[in-house]
Amino acid sequence: MSTQLKSGAKSEIAIAKFVEHTDAEVASFFEACVHCGECAQACHFHLNTDDPKYTPIYKLKPMERAYKRHKAPFSTLKRALGLAPSEVTEDELREWEPLVYDACNMCGRCTLVCPMGLDIAGTIRKMREGFAAAGFVPEGLLSAAEYVKKTTSPMGVTIKALKAQIKHQEKATGIKIEIDLKGADYMATFSSMEIMGYPEVLGAYAKLFKRAGLTWTISSVAYEATNVGVQIGSGALAKEILSRVVDAAEDLGVKAVISPECGHAYGAIRWAGPNLMGRQLKFEVVHIIEVLDRLRREGRIPAGEKDSRRMTLHDPCQIVRRGGLLKEPRSLMDDSCSDFVEMKGAGVTNFCCGGGGGVSANPRAEDLKLAAFNSKAGQLNAIEGLEAVIVPCGNCRAVFEDGLDDQEMNLEVIGLSELVAETLK
Amino acid sequence: MDYEVNGQTIEADEEGYITNLGDWTPELGGVIAVAEEIEMDDERWEVVNFLRDYYDEYQIAPAVRVLIKALKKTMGPEKGNNKYMYELFPYGPAKQACKIAGLPKPTGCV
Repeated sequence: MSTQLKSGAKSEIAIAKFVEHTDAEVASFFEACVHCGECAQACHFHLNTDDPKYTPIYKLKPMERAYKRHKAPFSTLKRALGLAPSEVTEDELREWEPLVYDACNMCGRCTLVCPMGLDIAGTIRKMREGFAAAGFVPEGLLSAAEYVKKTTSPMGVTIKALKAQIKHQEKATGIKIEIDLKGADYMATFSSMEIMGYPEVLGAYAKLFKRAGLTWTISSVAYEATNVGVQIGSGALAKEILSRVVDAAEDLGVKAVISPECGHAYGAIRWAGPNLMGRQLKFEVVHIIEVLDRLRREGRIPAGEKDSRRMTLHDPCQIVRRGGLLKEPRSLMDDSCSDFVEMKGAGVTNFCCGGGGGVSANPRAEDLKLAAFNSKAGQLNAIEGLEAVIVPCGNCRAVFEDGLDDQEMNLEVIGLSELVAETLK
Repeated sequence: MDYEVNGQTIEADEEGYITNLGDWTPELGGVIAVAEEIEMDDERWEVVNFLRDYYDEYQIAPAVRVLIKALKKTMGPEKGNNKYMYELFPYGPAKQACKIAGLPKPTGCV
């Protein structure tokens, strides 16, 4: 009996959150869906599995039902007459958890194609609040959150690890990288994957910023840009994580914070930042691609000899489709590469790598992630003689490397800042 | 899931990662390998020793992708690749090798 009560309590918590997060906008989505199926045709999880349960709008069903039972017009009357949809159960939450966390990157391709303008991806983010509050969260994300609490990094990257990487990069470039430099122009933040997997990016920043003649620094307490709170679906945790960066930037008195080559980190500070903090930030937030594009146009980092390999560009969803940086990476590509070929469907409609939105932190979703990468592999295979792909997101980059290995494709994966640094005049 | 080495009990969590990292000795590494059904040889010890050094420098148990990149840098592409590593540690190179090296459980990325 006691476990019965406990399980009921869990679904009650989730339902309350679903109802709370069904604001006027989300309610209008639930009322407006015309069941056309366009979102299914846009979703790489559906396209690569042909399983109808991966239809994006279907992933929102528990939240929609909670709304229709508890908040929709005449729901009280409908409930009294037995006409309201049934209550969401704990079993259903358990069944939906993999749909919400494993089979959605919140990439927003469904949102883009919806003829009724439903932001399905944004609503999944809100729906995760209910799953998180009720404790239906994949183990991989929970363990990432634990590491964040202990070390500020989802991979457990401490300042000691960062300093060791900085030392290697200082040695490789001969340029000093300042930690906690007060009054610097920029405070750069990174994803753990970059720090440990692609530390050359630190050297690339050092080289580019030295050339541009500007000062930059890394905070010893707020080097991590990723925000597991956004991915789990916990506004409170997202705020706590973001506060570290905001406090450090304001303490150091920097003019701007640089969001790195990472997708969700950009949205977490650039778009959600002021809302999470409940106030304007006292510094500008710029994406590294924006910074490089500006410096390039100001003539401060002139382009030198181009890389002659045949290259294409991946569009990280949160930077391009959801972030609006469409032209800037292309302009940098044109300057740095003499054989730049766009993949079919490039730009705002590009396919996600399959690992965004917390999927790559969730080992349970590994097979689905690799299945979803099929769409990307198809785009890459369609370009004859392709030698390298520029992937301006550390997480996408790791997913590409896994996916390419899995498909036995031989292709170099490079970050954009590194390409720009290597082709600097 | 504790381990026995020379009559001493070494504490480990339910997945077999040792609790006190200071407890590790090469002998214990061998005992953990037996529990993992891994037969240790020079190639496998090379990876385990690499992980010990890596942990000493960065204090991180690397995720598989990070581990393979780091191995590629120091040992070259013949050893720093997925296939080779899965041949050595079929149930996950990062997880099994970290466990044998006495490191905490590695994490993925967000």
